[in-house]
Amino acid sequence: MDPDEKLCAETWVKSSSGHESLNTDSNNRPFTDFDRHHPKWEESPFNGCGVRTLGQQFSGFEGSFASDVDSQRQKKDLHGKQIPEAHESGYMQNWDPSAMLNNLLFLEKKIHQLQDLVQLVVGRRGQAMNQADEILVQQQQLITADLTSIIVQLISTAGSLLPSLKNSESLASQLGQFGGIATQLAGVTDNVVPNKMEDRHDPTGVSEDHDGFKRDANLRMHMRGHGDEYKTPAALAKPHKESSSDPIFIKRYSCPYVGCKRNKDHKKFQPLKTILCVKNHYKRTHCDKNYTCSRCHTKKFSVIADLKTHEKHCGRDKWLCSCGTTFSRKDKLFGHIALFQGHTPAIPHEGAGAWPSDQGQSRSEATNKVEQLDFNSCQGLMEVERSGDDPSNYFSPLGFDTSSLAGFQEFPRPLFEDAESSFSFFLSGSGDYSPKNGRYAAPNDLE
Amino acid sequence: MKMKSPILLLTDDLLLKIISLLTDDTDRKSLRSTCKPFLHLDSLLRTHLRLLHPDFLPSLLPKLPSLSSLDLSVCPRIDAAAVSLLLPSAPRLTRLHLARCSALPPHSLRALATACANLQTLDLSYCTSFGDLEAAAISAAACLRDLNLDKCLNVTDVGLAQVAAGCPELERLSLKWCFDVTDIGIWFLSKKCLHLKRLDISYLKVSNESFRWISGMEKLEALQMVGCGSVDDNGLLHIANGCASLKVLDISRCDRLSMDALCSVIHGHNRLLELHAGYCFPELSMSFVDQLKDLKSLKMLRIDGARVRDSMLKFISNNCKCLTEVGLGKCRVTDTGILHLVTGCVNLKVLDLTCCSDLTDSAILAIARSCRDLLCLKLECCNLLGEGSLNHLGSHCRFLEEIDLTDCSGINDIGLKYLSRCSELVSLKLGLCVNISDKGLSYMASNCSKIRELDLYRCEGIGDGGLASISRGCKKLKGLNLSYCDGVTDEGMAYLSSLEELSSLEMRSLRNITATGLTKLAAGCRRLAELDVKNCKGIDDSGFWALAYYSRNLQQINLSGCAISDVGLCMVMGNLTRLQDAKLLDLARVSADGVEVALRACCACLKKVKLSASLRRLLSPQIIQTLEANGCKIRWD
Repeated sequence: MDPDEKLCAETWVKSSSGHESLNTDSNNRPFTDFDRHHPKWEESPFNGCGVRTLGQQFSGFEGSFASDVDSQRQKKDLHGKQIPEAHESGYMQNWDPSAMLNNLLFLEKKIHQLQDLVQLVVGRRGQAMNQADEILVQQQQLITADLTSIIVQLISTAGSLLPSLKNSESLASQLGQFGGIATQLAGVTDNVVPNKMEDRHDPTGVSEDHDGFKRDANLRMHMRGHGDEYKTPAALAKPHKESSSDPIFIKRYSCPYVGCKRNKDHKKFQPLKTILCVKNHYKRTHCDKNYTCSRCHTKKFSVIADLKTHEKHCGRDKWLCSCGTTFSRKDKLFGHIALFQGHTPAIPHEGAGAWPSDQGQSRSEATNKVEQLDFNSCQGLMEVERSGDDPSNYFSPLGFDTSSLAGFQEFPRPLFEDAESSFSFFLSGSGDYSPKNGRYAAPNDLE
Repeated sequence: MKMKSPILLLTDDLLLKIISLLTDDTDRKSLRSTCKPFLHLDSLLRTHLRLLHPDFLPSLLPKLPSLSSLDLSVCPRIDAAAVSLLLPSAPRLTRLHLARCSALPPHSLRALATACANLQTLDLSYCTSFGDLEAAAISAAACLRDLNLDKCLNVTDVGLAQVAAGCPELERLSLKWCFDVTDIGIWFLSKKCLHLKRLDISYLKVSNESFRWISGMEKLEALQMVGCGSVDDNGLLHIANGCASLKVLDISRCDRLSMDALCSVIHGHNRLLELHAGYCFPELSMSFVDQLKDLKSLKMLRIDGARVRDSMLKFISNNCKCLTEVGLGKCRVTDTGILHLVTGCVNLKVLDLTCCSDLTDSAILAIARSCRDLLCLKLECCNLLGEGSLNHLGSHCRFLEEIDLTDCSGINDIGLKYLSRCSELVSLKLGLCVNISDKGLSYMASNCSKIRELDLYRCEGIGDGGLASISRGCKKLKGLNLSYCDGVTDEGMAYLSSLEELSSLEMRSLRNITATGLTKLAAGCRRLAELDVKNCKGIDDSGFWALAYYSRNLQQINLSGCAISDVGLCMVMGNLTRLQDAKLLDLARVSADGVEVALRACCACLKKVKLSASLRRLLSPQIIQTLEANGCKIRWD
């Protein structure tokens, strides 16, 4: 036995112990509390993933198994529910204890019947893997039919337990709240998902999948995977109200890791939609990350597909936030900085090759050059100052061919005019001209 | 001991009070030149300083304790060293004007922004090489309220986001010509800068999406979106449904907008004060004019380039009585239309009728009679106007300050005589008025002593005599255009040299000017900052030597087509240390080496230079690199 099975057993114990507390539920919205006290999460043998079924007769044993359990719970629920109602009800006078006792005995019998059936299911389950699909389907249908009839009886009897019509109506409405289909007895439902959850996963009927699609195109793409027969307009059409009278199955999965938000025991439980989701979620969240990106050697993943996705754009994330997060797209970066106070788009320094424009780099290089040049001119200035007042000295570093530029001179400035140096002409020119040929000399040739 | 002047017996407080009543800059200048105590008092009061050279910073800043606003935009080159001089007094600065200071490296900009803890207004317009690094540097000034990034060509969404995240108090932001800013930057701006009151996104390539975000800016009062060619009606409809506080809207040159969309904007914002919609629509629609009646408080309406029918102008004048400024350039309005307009809008102060060539004297009569407060009238290219028009203006519009009569061939000396009765005139444009002569100018000069700007472009009848009377009468003249006035000779230049305030002179193709004239001019007009002597072939090196010697304040020069030699060019470029902008095309006597040396001489201060394309190969790559690294823009022509 693997640990999953043990988990499964534990759950069963838990669920049975949960029944007692139900009695206190008498308000209009019993679901939340009910959910908390009454886990109906079956741990499936798949890799430690919980399976939860809404409705019955899904495409295999799990379905009937689950609905079976559901009905059991439902029945217990009704049973428990009735007592507090009787206490506070004003219709106690019409109450016939002996009839009720008969009914209860009948219910007990039926419960045993159900238990047997479930045991049968559990017994067959081991062989199920080896059997052909058709046989499986047949068996499932048989069991479903049995179950249905038993449950119908159960519920009608349970209804007759109620002392007055009004009370049974209120029960019916409660039933309606539970299952959403009060009249559909077969649909003994397990409405554990809070209403807003239901809203989110709007089931736009794909007959087998319960994924909703907002766009037609997405639905068609999805349906390709199911084969050609699903490509007809009828299959693609939005299911009618009538067809929704067929039980709607929404499977939800729980992560086996206790304390995880994806675990059913979590207060704000968020179920997982598919078994694959469970798998990936578990690996990503609760397992070691063994796959390291071969390019950046920093990013690690536990799901190989994630690694591949990362490798596709690794090193190409050119949009960088001041917090160090990189983004492949500008709008993603801006969305990020808009969200977090104090974050700004980072401007990489020179050498950051990934940045789209290297303008900053080239400019800073140029600035360096300028600084060099300025340095040269400073040297020139010192030279000029040292050379004293003789204006002819000013000319020497200029390097003009004196024959063509004869008579060039610097004007003396009145002192009051500017505080600035009067050497400015020579400053810039002096550094790089050699006196002889007017060509540029290397900075080293200055002295 | 020397006797003190009695006025100095007054206490400093009293003197300060008196001095603070002097508002005119030149008066203040005269005051502080009088004596040292006055200079001291003036410097105590001084809050704003516009420097011509950063070297003055260390000596001036300690003397000006109340200085809070500093303008370095006309300094030749502001670099890291200049900023380090500024840093000690940075905390008291609230306004900083650094336009065209492209040479400033980002790290010193950051140091400056960090040091200026109280900086509220920062102008970095036309720092064309500025980009995201600089924007990030500015974001250190956290209490910035007013930021101008016009033509910081390399600023992208990233830089804008830096600013928006760093300066959440921003109230005014101008991003004109920041072509790399896109919708996402505007989106982020709308998320972070919730106090924005004025936004200029002219010429940006933003789409309708941006206007969705802008429409969510609740406090926005003024939106300028000139030339946003990618915006259509859907974008404008966003504005119509949002921007609850909008008062000023400029959609000029947005050519994909329709009148209907503008109507819905008006419908949603009936407290609009200014509406600029020039060159948007080929024709005004009646529904738009009808919608205008909602705008009871509209003060400014510009619909240049749209055909307007007389009845529409009547409707406007009946409904928008508060209008003070109307722009009808190229609207082809008629006399009747103007008559309708001015009967209602009697408060008009500014009226632009450029290229309304159907107008006659009767239209001007109507304007002059109704709008007594008229300050500015633009009549460029209204060919049918004659001396009668100016007679009406002279008799009625005593407050007229600015008139543009460019290309009004009907204007003659008698007309100017009438116009001279408008003694408040500050700006007079008479370009291409070939029928005026020195006599007309003498009328103007004798009566209009406040003229600061005079345009005589291609006034072929003007000679030295006219300049003589101008130099006698208009002592405050700052800007003068004499291009192609062939009659002007060296003598005229001698007259001009007495204009001490003259700072901008354009004198293209004055063949009769020689070195003597230029020397006289340069020696006299020491404030000359902009000089255009293109194609003045008569001036030789000695003239330019004089220029290099005297005109120390020269910032812009156009020497194209002059007979300047290598030495002359080097003299000019090397000695004029405040030169920032030089145009050096077609210099027949200058060799490539000469240009190289000249550029080397001034590469530290030059911000913009225009060179002939053939030099591109002849100049050393080193000098080109140096210029560009210094933030100088080279235009090859």
